[in-house]
Amino acid sequence: MDFQKIPPVRDQLMKCVRCGKCRSVCPVFTEVKNETAAPRGHVFMVQMLRDGKVQPSEELYERLSICLMCENCTVNCPSGIDVHELNAAARSYIYDQNPTLGKEVVFDTMWTRPGLLKGSTRLLWGTQRLGLQKLARSLGLTRILPGDLPKAEKILNKVPFRSARQRLPEVNPARGQKKYTIGYFLGCGTDLLQPSVALATVDVLTRNGCEVIVPKDSRCCGLPQIANGKMDTARRLMAHNIKIYNSYDFDYIVTDCASCSSALSRKNLEFLLGGLKIEDQAFEFAEKVMDLSYFLIHVLDLQLPELKDIETVRVTYHDPCHLANAQDIKEEPRELLRRIPGISFVDMEEANTCCGGSGTYSLTHYDISMKILDRKMDHAMATGADLLATSCPSCMMQLNYGINRHHWQAKVVHPIQLLSEYYQRVPVINQ
Amino acid sequence: MDKDQIQQDLIKIVGKSRVLTHDLDLMYYSYDSSFLTKLEPKTPYAVVFPHSTQEVQRIVQYAYDHKINLIPRGAGTGETGGCIAINGGIVLDLASWDEIIEVDAENMQVLVRPGVIHAHLNEELAKYKLFFPPDPGSSKMCTIGGMVANNASGLRAVKYGCTEQYILGLEMVTATGDIIYTGGMKARCIKNVSGLNLTKLMVGSEGVLGIITGIRLRCWPKPEARGIAMAVFDQLDDAPTTVLEVYQAGILPSGIEILDSSAIWAVNQFKPEIQLPDAEAILLFEVDGNPPGVQYDGEMIKKIAGKRAREVEWSTDPQRMAELWEGRSVTATAAARIRDDGSRIFAGEDISVPLSRVADTLRSIRALADQYGVQVVNYGHIGDGNVHTAPVINPENPEEVEQVLKLVHEIHLLAIEMQGSTTGEHGVGVVRRPYAELEHGKAVQYMQRIKTVFDPQGIMNPGKLF
Ligand SMILES: Cc1cc2nc3c(=O)[nH]c(=O)nc-3n(C[C@H](O)[C@H](O)[C@H](O)COP(=O)(O)OP(=O)(O)OC[C@H]3O[C@@H](n4cnc5c(N)ncnc54)[C@H](O)[C@@H]3O)c2cc1C
Ligand code: SF4
Ligand code: SF4
Repeated sequence: MDFQKIPPVRDQLMKCVRCGKCRSVCPVFTEVKNETAAPRGHVFMVQMLRDGKVQPSEELYERLSICLMCENCTVNCPSGIDVHELNAAARSYIYDQNPTLGKEVVFDTMWTRPGLLKGSTRLLWGTQRLGLQKLARSLGLTRILPGDLPKAEKILNKVPFRSARQRLPEVNPARGQKKYTIGYFLGCGTDLLQPSVALATVDVLTRNGCEVIVPKDSRCCGLPQIANGKMDTARRLMAHNIKIYNSYDFDYIVTDCASCSSALSRKNLEFLLGGLKIEDQAFEFAEKVMDLSYFLIHVLDLQLPELKDIETVRVTYHDPCHLANAQDIKEEPRELLRRIPGISFVDMEEANTCCGGSGTYSLTHYDISMKILDRKMDHAMATGADLLATSCPSCMMQLNYGINRHHWQAKVVHPIQLLSEYYQRVPVINQ
Repeated sequence: MDKDQIQQDLIKIVGKSRVLTHDLDLMYYSYDSSFLTKLEPKTPYAVVFPHSTQEVQRIVQYAYDHKINLIPRGAGTGETGGCIAINGGIVLDLASWDEIIEVDAENMQVLVRPGVIHAHLNEELAKYKLFFPPDPGSSKMCTIGGMVANNASGLRAVKYGCTEQYILGLEMVTATGDIIYTGGMKARCIKNVSGLNLTKLMVGSEGVLGIITGIRLRCWPKPEARGIAMAVFDQLDDAPTTVLEVYQAGILPSGIEILDSSAIWAVNQFKPEIQLPDAEAILLFEVDGNPPGVQYDGEMIKKIAGKRAREVEWSTDPQRMAELWEGRSVTATAAARIRDDGSRIFAGEDISVPLSRVADTLRSIRALADQYGVQVVNYGHIGDGNVHTAPVINPENPEEVEQVLKLVHEIHLLAIEMQGSTTGEHGVGVVRRPYAELEHGKAVQYMQRIKTVFDPQGIMNPGKLF
């Protein structure tokens, strides 16, 4: 798609007042304190790019990609500018003009093919013998993984042996009376890095009268591609997923991954597919997509009877940007945690600030990512919580790294795991 | 002098990690919040990030020896092009030098470096039950250095005045490279009339006399209680009249803000949860002080405003107050929402007129806007006659740009005609410099002569102020 015609590029660039409000909410700017890292700066540069005043160069790509895509600027911009979309659109445009940017292998091939992705994850992130560094070099990845590979390796070092997809059947019947047919959008992060979250999701949903289908040929939601300059690839993935999911008769399409639900939301589809032929089918699809916690609270309205003799655990919650900023879902995960007997919920300061993980950001911008993470961990630890909950596998990975880095005794969990554990203790309920 | 050479020399002074030299990086320093720099961004030769007075001094001495322009910069939220290298030069980005050196709670003062962000300072002072009262709409972004240089004020100027009232003393590096301390910078007293008042001269000097590197600020005890009254009017004229009536009743609110119908609409678009009522105008009165006093003021305002207003809402609920105040503070940018393909521009946005002529001024601005075919949103600190006009145009349409430039020129002239000023708080910079003679006459020459004392070569932020 022509860069100039992408909706925010066409309609929003001239709206920026350069007021700088976005500077005050950007986690990267807060650490870097330099206009080249400010959201306002990104908007300015995208405008320069559109007007041909700067070249679509790798140097510009580098500057734009200091952004985490956390969307905090977007939700806070009084002029209503989708700052992160402008940035993503520009990265994609620059990428198209610079085939040498060198991430083709990962984002075009691996992430579009689940099998390959799984294999390469194993190789890339798991195999000690081969080593991440060597493999990454051989894939030409060193340029996006500068300097800190050994540290990055630690972030990714615990890849479970069996993925969720290997463990879950395609059809998971409802236990008890069936209420809904759910298409479970099993994202790559949950599938490969947090398979136990997927098992918990299916467990809780089936216990509550949902037949859960895990479509076999479902692919990546496209968000990593959008963030890495491959909007065309993301479009292809999206078109594929829309076709697959629309071929079923689902009541809802539910996902436990904040990034996936934001990628599949109408807002993102408008950005990605706006004006294309597939638009209508995309919106029909997006209509059914729902974050898991939202589904559990608003559709199922879960009520969880108290249990006798249980110990109370203190739980705090980190808002994934893709849930809180991209979809304004902040209350539901908290409400869910509060409803689970035995949980004493405590909010942390700046709960809705990015953890610095943002998919591959912690690998490509290790130092900034760690500064943001350290701030997050300080706030989390100050709550004295036993468990640090969050609804995104990518945040879970980063926060896990954070608790190790800070030698904190807490555990990182997805709320659905706590819910599933609750049900394990009361097997009679809802069966 | 050769740009590459300047860059290399600066790297020798502060180190590579604190100089920007790449052409792309420099472009990020070609704008502030002014409309001017949206039309004509101007790139500096280099950007430096000094973190000590000695570093600033070394940079200044270097620039002095080689006659290179120096442009201090805070957060770049100024609306006048003040921090832009319009004739080339070195930009000193002081925003990352943001240390709060000492809160001296006992003596009700605080010592800071220029890059401290206004809102951060007040968060820190709140721990000591103190605050720094001036409250610009840009509180979360702008730096104290920028506030001093622009003598900024804001929503609470009605009662608490401008930045200048709170500066006990300054540390600055003059354009010759001298480090000087003004007023009580090295003392800790509050009252001090010793010597020529160089502090007042520096406040509002917009970076043309020197670089402010340290600021000793007076703080006030943070009032315990606060309340907000919102009065809703069907007639625009009733709003300024009500303001005068509130004053006449002996009430001094801490802030009085006006939003006209288009501002109300814009705020509701941006933050629907605030639910401002549809009306010709809304006045927001903020009162603060001790709890019974606040209650009394609130009831009086309700009674007085109730005579002309369609309804008056009085709230002491923190959440509602935060919403209403937030609604006002986002108006500056949210104004753009009145038009799908529009952008609010900062130009002609800050005139100040006598209280008795606010209503006339608002009417005249509307008439001018109609005449030039430009949509405008009016809001502002009506309590002290500071009217903010936000023209909303499509800045990519050259005809609209031409019209709006004519309109803002007329608005500036209108201010002078009304016995007001072209700027109440945002400053002069590049954009209001053409009116200096008209506003100050021969005094401009004295300003220029004073500048030569501090800056004999004219390298400090040239092309600004006068
Ligand atoms: C949305 C919005 C709302 C605003 N609301 C208000 C308001 O209510 N009231 C108000 O008064 N202003 C307001 N402003 C204007 C602006 O925020 C203020 O003028 C502010 O003080 C500028 O601070 P800054 O750090 O951004 O300075 P900059 O814009 O970076 O610089 C402003 C001027 O100060 C000089 N300067 C900066 N730092 C130093 C230093 N250390 N030494 C010497 N010179 C220096 C610069 O050279 C320049 O001339 C608003 C702006 C925006 C965008
Ligand atoms: S907050 Fe919005 S309008 Fe203001 S500078 Fe940032 S992107 Fe531009
Ligand atoms: S998306 Fe997040 S990281 Fe990127 S510019 Fe906006 S606030 Fe900063």
